[in-house]
Amino acid sequence: MEPTVSVSELTKRFGRRTVLDGPTLRFGPGVTGLLGPNGAGKTTLLRILATTLAPDGGRVRALGLDPADRAQRTELRRRLGYLPQDPGFYPHFTVFELTEYVAILKELNDRRERHREVRRVLAEVDLTDRARTRVRGLSGGMRQRLALAQALLGDPGLLVLDEPTVGLDPEQRMRFRALVSRLGESRTVLLSTHQTEDVAALCERVVVMRGGRAVFEGTPAGLAATAAGRVWSSDRSPAASEVFWRTADGRYRTLGARPPGAVPAEPGVEDGYLLLLGGGSGDTGAAA
Amino acid sequence: MNTQWHLPGELIERYTTGHLEPVQVMSVESHLMGCARCREAVPYEREWLADGWERIEEVVDRPRPRVVARVLRRCGVPEHVAVFLAATPALARGWLVAVTATVVCAVAVAHLVDSAGAARTVHPLLFFLAVAPVLPLAGIALAYGPHVDPVHETQAATPMAGSRSLLLRALAVLVCAIALTGLATPLLPGPPGLAAAWLLPSLALTATTLALATRVAPPVSAAVLVAAWFGAVAAGGELTGDRLALFSPAAQILYGAATVLLIPLVYLRRARFDPGEPRWNRPSASRN
Repeated sequence: MEPTVSVSELTKRFGRRTVLDGPTLRFGPGVTGLLGPNGAGKTTLLRILATTLAPDGGRVRALGLDPADRAQRTELRRRLGYLPQDPGFYPHFTVFELTEYVAILKELNDRRERHREVRRVLAEVDLTDRARTRVRGLSGGMRQRLALAQALLGDPGLLVLDEPTVGLDPEQRMRFRALVSRLGESRTVLLSTHQTEDVAALCERVVVMRGGRAVFEGTPAGLAATAAGRVWSSDRSPAASEVFWRTADGRYRTLGARPPGAVPAEPGVEDGYLLLLGGGSGDTGAAA
Repeated sequence: MNTQWHLPGELIERYTTGHLEPVQVMSVESHLMGCARCREAVPYEREWLADGWERIEEVVDRPRPRVVARVLRRCGVPEHVAVFLAATPALARGWLVAVTATVVCAVAVAHLVDSAGAARTVHPLLFFLAVAPVLPLAGIALAYGPHVDPVHETQAATPMAGSRSLLLRALAVLVCAIALTGLATPLLPGPPGLAAAWLLPSLALTATTLALATRVAPPVSAAVLVAAWFGAVAAGGELTGDRLALFSPAAQILYGAATVLLIPLVYLRRARFDPGEPRWNRPSASRN
C-alpha cells in the first residue's frame, strides 16, 4: 500500500518538554486511529500534519507534498481537511455564514460554487435544517458536526480529525462513525481519540502513542492480540496490586499476571491498549 | 386518477411548446404529478432544471451579507474578500464603535482645550495627534492570532493562513482607521496641515507593528509600540520644549522613510506569519 502520509524521525519540543520524540509512521488510504493518553503527542502530530505547527526536526510528506516547502504547504492546505481539538467559532455567525467563511479560506471564491459546496457539506453532517441558526444556539454535538462540515469543504483527500467524537452523545457517535467510515473509503482519514471503542469500530489501522513515540502500529485486531494470554476473568476480586475492573456480568476482568482461580478471557482493543501503556505490569497499582 | 390513460404525443408537444390554454396546462400538470411514465415522456434539460433549483436555493437560503461586507462591496471590494474581511474580529462592531468614540472624544478634547484658553499649557491638537496614529495598531492586534481569533486554528490549515490573512486584514483595518480619522480631521481647530500630521506616524507605526510581528505575536508588537509611541510623544515635548516635536516636518520625513523601508521588509519576511513555517527555513536558523 502506497502511503499517502509519512513522517520520519519527527521531533517537537515546547520549551524543555519533548512532545514528539522521533516517531516514524506511514498512513495509507482508509481510517487510521491515534490512541494515547494525554500528553502522548497525538495532537502535536496531527497539528504538524495539518500544517498549523512546524516540527523542530524530521520529515513529513502528505499527498506527495512536503509541507516544509512554502508552495507545497499551500497546495497541501488546498487538499486538506482539518478538525482541530478545540474548533473555534464566531458565535454570532449562522451555521451557513461560518461554513461559507471557511470555504473562502479554502479559496472557494466563486459565490455560486461556494454556496453549492456549503450546502453539500451541511447536508453531509445533517445540518441543512440548521443553516440559519446562529452558532451560539447550537448544542455541543451540533457544533462538532459543524466543525466536521468545515473539514469536508473542498472534498479533501486527507482528513485530520483531532478527537472528533468529544461531546457527541451515543447516537451522534454512531452517526459520526458511519460518516467517517464512508469518508475513509475514498481518502486518508487520521483521527485521534481516547475512545478505544471508536478505534475498534471504524479504524483499519491504529497507532498507539506514548511519551511522543509510537509504541504500536498495526490493526485493531493486532492491538487486541498483544494482550493474548494476559487477560483474565474471575469471580473473585483479585489482589489490589493488579489492574482489574468489575464487568457487567459481575465477574472481574484482570490484565497481566493470572490471578488465582481466573480463566483466560478474549482480549479486546482496550486490553491491548492498557497493557501497552503499562497496565497489568504491577506498577500501576490501582483498580481501573 | 386514470393511470391507464397517458398524454398523447401531440398534447405533450403543445404543452412543451407553450401552445395550450391555461386550463389545459393545469390538467396536463395534474396528470404529470401522478404519472411517472408521462413525466419521462416530457422532454426537459436536466442541467437546466438543476440550475433552476440552485438559483431558487440561492434566493431562499443565501444569508444576507453583513453590514461591513455590504459596505466593502459598494467600495468595489470583491465579494469573497468582503465576506472574509467582514469576519475580521477587529472590524467587528465593537472595534468600529471604539475607534469612532475615540476619534470623537479626541476632537472634543481639541475643541475644549482650544475654547478654554488652555493652549499655553497643552496644545489643542496634542491628544488627537497622539491617539490617532495608534488606532490601526489596536485593530491589527485584534486582527490575527490564536488569542484573538477563535477560528485561528482552523484558518491556519487553509491556503489563506499566515501573511495572506494578516496583511489583508491589517490593510482593511488601516484603511478603516484612516478613513474614520480622516473624516474627523477637518473638524479640528488649527491649521489643516498640522491637523493631518497623524497620517505618516500612523503608517510608520503600522509598518513597524507588522515588522515586529514577524518576531512576536501582533498583540505584543502593537502593545510595545503603543507604549513606546506615547512615551516618545511625552519625552519629545519635554526634551525639545516643543509639545508637537514628533509631528514636525522633519519628523514627518522620518516617518515616511520608515514606512517606505519597512513595507518591503515585511513583505520579505511574510513567511514568518505562517505557523507552519519551519524554523530551518528562516534566514537566521540553520537546518537541523
